[in-house]
Amino acid sequence: MGKGKEKKRVTKRARSEFLWGWMFILPTMTGLMILNIIPIIQTIWQSFFKTGAFGRGNIFIGLENYQRLFADDSIWQALINTFKYAIVEVPFSIAIALVIAVMLNSKMRGRSTYRAIYFLPMVVAPAAVAMVWKWLFNSEFGLLNHILNSIGLKSVHWLSDPNIAIYSIAVVGIWGVIGYNMVLFLAGLQEIPRDYYEAAEIDGANAFQQFFKITVPLISPTMFFVVVTRVIASLQVFDSIFMMIDKSSQALPKTQSLVYLFYRYAFVENNKGYGSAIVVLLLMIIMVITVIQMVAQKKWVHYN
Amino acid sequence: MRRREKTLKVTKHLVLFIGAIIMLVPFAWMILTAFKTNTEAMQMNPFVIFPSEWRTESFVSVAEKMDFVRLYVNTLLMILGRIICAVLTATMAGYAFGRLRFKGRDFCFGLVLFQMMVPGQIFIIPQYLMVSKMGMLNTIFSLVFPGLVTAFGTFLMRQAYMGLPKELEEAARLDGCNIGQTFLHVMMPLTKSSMVALGIFTALFGFKDLMWPLIANTEQNSMPLAAALAKLQGQFASNFPELMAASMIACIPMIVLYLIFQKQFIEGIATSGGKL
Amino acid sequence: MKLKKVVALAMVSVMALSMTACGGKEKEKETEEKTSSKDAKLTVAIWDSNQEPGLKKIMDDFTKKTGVEVDIQVTPWKDYWTMLEAATTGGEMPDVFWMHSDQIATYAQYDDILLNLSDKIEKSDKIDLANYPESIVNIYQNDKGDQLAIPKDIDTCAVWYNKTMFDEAGVEYPSADWTWDDFREIAKKLTNPEKNQYGTAITPGAYQESWYSTIYAYGGEVLSEDKKTSGFDNPKTIEGMQVIENIIKDGSMPEYSVLSENGTSTLMESGTVAMTFQGSWMVSEMANNDYIKENCDIAPLPKGPEGTKSITNGLGWAASAQGEHTEEAWQLIEYLGSKEAQTKQADLGVTMSAYEGVSDGWAKAQPNFNMQAYLDMMEDAQSYPSSKNTQVWFQAMLEEMVAGFSGEEPMETVCKEFAEQMNGFLAEEQ
Repeated sequence: MGKGKEKKRVTKRARSEFLWGWMFILPTMTGLMILNIIPIIQTIWQSFFKTGAFGRGNIFIGLENYQRLFADDSIWQALINTFKYAIVEVPFSIAIALVIAVMLNSKMRGRSTYRAIYFLPMVVAPAAVAMVWKWLFNSEFGLLNHILNSIGLKSVHWLSDPNIAIYSIAVVGIWGVIGYNMVLFLAGLQEIPRDYYEAAEIDGANAFQQFFKITVPLISPTMFFVVVTRVIASLQVFDSIFMMIDKSSQALPKTQSLVYLFYRYAFVENNKGYGSAIVVLLLMIIMVITVIQMVAQKKWVHYN
Repeated sequence: MRRREKTLKVTKHLVLFIGAIIMLVPFAWMILTAFKTNTEAMQMNPFVIFPSEWRTESFVSVAEKMDFVRLYVNTLLMILGRIICAVLTATMAGYAFGRLRFKGRDFCFGLVLFQMMVPGQIFIIPQYLMVSKMGMLNTIFSLVFPGLVTAFGTFLMRQAYMGLPKELEEAARLDGCNIGQTFLHVMMPLTKSSMVALGIFTALFGFKDLMWPLIANTEQNSMPLAAALAKLQGQFASNFPELMAASMIACIPMIVLYLIFQKQFIEGIATSGGKL
Repeated sequence: MKLKKVVALAMVSVMALSMTACGGKEKEKETEEKTSSKDAKLTVAIWDSNQEPGLKKIMDDFTKKTGVEVDIQVTPWKDYWTMLEAATTGGEMPDVFWMHSDQIATYAQYDDILLNLSDKIEKSDKIDLANYPESIVNIYQNDKGDQLAIPKDIDTCAVWYNKTMFDEAGVEYPSADWTWDDFREIAKKLTNPEKNQYGTAITPGAYQESWYSTIYAYGGEVLSEDKKTSGFDNPKTIEGMQVIENIIKDGSMPEYSVLSENGTSTLMESGTVAMTFQGSWMVSEMANNDYIKENCDIAPLPKGPEGTKSITNGLGWAASAQGEHTEEAWQLIEYLGSKEAQTKQADLGVTMSAYEGVSDGWAKAQPNFNMQAYLDMMEDAQSYPSSKNTQVWFQAMLEEMVAGFSGEEPMETVCKEFAEQMNGFLAEEQ
């Protein structure tokens, strides 16, 4: 008899979760479908066409865009460039931001000021950001090389040496997203109950032990979010390359990213079909990486 | 022990200070440039760090060229619309994805992630066609339109809810709360910081979004700030002091907004310490 | 207590939200309807905000004459074509807008996009196409010979040189009929790497200003007349490119990385190079620079065996065929193309005008410089090479030329290899 009641309650609970669940996600899913998912499907569809302008005169060409894609060396080089960028930008920006967020989460003088300062790069107009970094990196007149020269080192071609430029761009990327990561970490840190630290302090744990034993596990859901979104965003790097590397730079072939090429084909050369094929390739890659992260999170993300 | 604490504190301040300087360089440069002549601003060799004379002409001419009141109002309405939509839809969906179990949940969440995996540029033309069919081009609605829902925010809120302790929810259920009540009375208040973070980012992304308003809101008086700024850059020649002066005037409200929001973080510490 | 209030407030809003997907929207819609513009206005789309004030004055004259109001909308070049494409697809094109030689073919392939102006021009007493350079008029025709845009402006190119550097090196200023050989010699004389001073700076990106002209001045071509084959394997084209290559080999230019990081105008303004090639669209920036004002002047392009061959391009005023106000749009274009408006455009210093013989006012706007050089260049001009889908081969060309300009590969190899590639792209266009 008791069992039957239990079962009834479970199904009732399940039904209620189903109803509430769908009610809660309905606005988001409806909007997402119309605004995003349908255009994505159209893009995938477009990748099988030789596209005409203004949505007219599309000719179905099957896999031709993909054949061209796989034979196109610049695409594979762009893929390597994109990965190089992501491998530098993501870990550094996360590590630095986490340290800063933890520091700024405790009571100290000037905390609000620091928080505002680290956030500043996010509000500056991208054009201004690109300009100032272009000057800092300028091999002839730039500040960085001035400093290097004055301590007796040789100038570095930060933005025109094909082997270096992508990392210079990554530095700009790190500088730009620290504020983003920091705000998220700060928000995550707020949600860690204070008593945990108090208990640890009573147990005699020092700051470092507290950081690794309490902060890191408890902030791991936020961390997971930051990692997933940063990986995706860094694989879509475009603006900084577009604004800082000249079209006739020797470094361009070794810095242009997949989205850069997508932009060039779809918006400059008006070849939407080929551009779409590039997007599909990028989508596949990001999807695989994200799925791996979703699976791997079970190993390190600590949910209550 | 005491001594170690002290060295730790000093290191901390030192690290933060040096970091802050690096963060500030471009900003300082922006301010300095706004006061230079265009020649000084363009000059590379020798590079001019301080303007020979602190000129305010750029601010004056920018204020004449741009109707800042109108632009602020448009931007504010756009940001407000986007924040309301994003926070409401994402909080609900985030709770459902993070705390409830139901059929179709994982598939739907997959779609949410899916949206984030493609470069945003592909949405522009399809969304333009939708807004144009509705006859809503050049309105505040069209500025808000791409931000009606947010995959980013849904994901963010889901993570926030997943990190909350289970006990609270169970306690609420035993008190006889249904799911809606549990969400409203117990769970949602606990994710305030994440909601604030979402608000900040929604405002920021909306503020920085350039391509969409340039294409959907071409009329002078329906533009947001960022788009009007982008217009200042001519195709070939550009006036950098003016551009920087305009950028400065433009980003002040964003900084104010952030300062207001960030107060919430600090308040967050005070309350969560006692109430949890 | 406070928390409870917040929660209650949030609850109310969530409830309201769950009923209508986004309740907040309705109000905004209403307030916006009031501010959106009335139908009677013509919308005009352009991409250069520097020209906006001047054009606005001309449009005001038009409004005074006809009573038709005009609203100028600026979209920066980078997004202009995306905007126009989206607007065309959605049937929301601006009434009147700028057209460019790179893009006209895309828009000309369908008859219902751009307003066909041929009949209207015939009936008009203000527009006679003979008054504009043929090279610009021809750009804006479709396959059937219909005129789809009226020329708005024209650009030419000239050499800016640093008088101070010439004086210091004891070199005479460029004469009106100097040749590319002279140019090479002078560049060599003005180079002094120890002082970080170089004769000139020519980049792949300065195609229209410099090396396209060299190609045509040596009898070569970028694109064949019928736009079906590449000119880069033409021996004369290669000869022209080798002229550039020799200047590079002489060491008369800064290192390639410096060129690509700074651009020619910056190098000129910072006193690093003595001569650069600049289009007429750069005049206002150059002429307003204090260093340039003090030290520099303008000379015509050097001559090759076939003359100077300044590459000219020009925008056109086009109108939408989809709009409700095509008649008013035509009136506006007719006015903008008229002698009166074209003269005013030049007098206001907006740009050189396409209408022949009215641009003296533009030259006079900069009395400190020999602006006549730009006007003279019109006499031996070459129209800007463009095909149906120029951007496709153009982007590839910029990419390939890097190897030639940086000295990684001989120019001849680069040109020949690129010719093959370009022929492939052109074949696809057909």
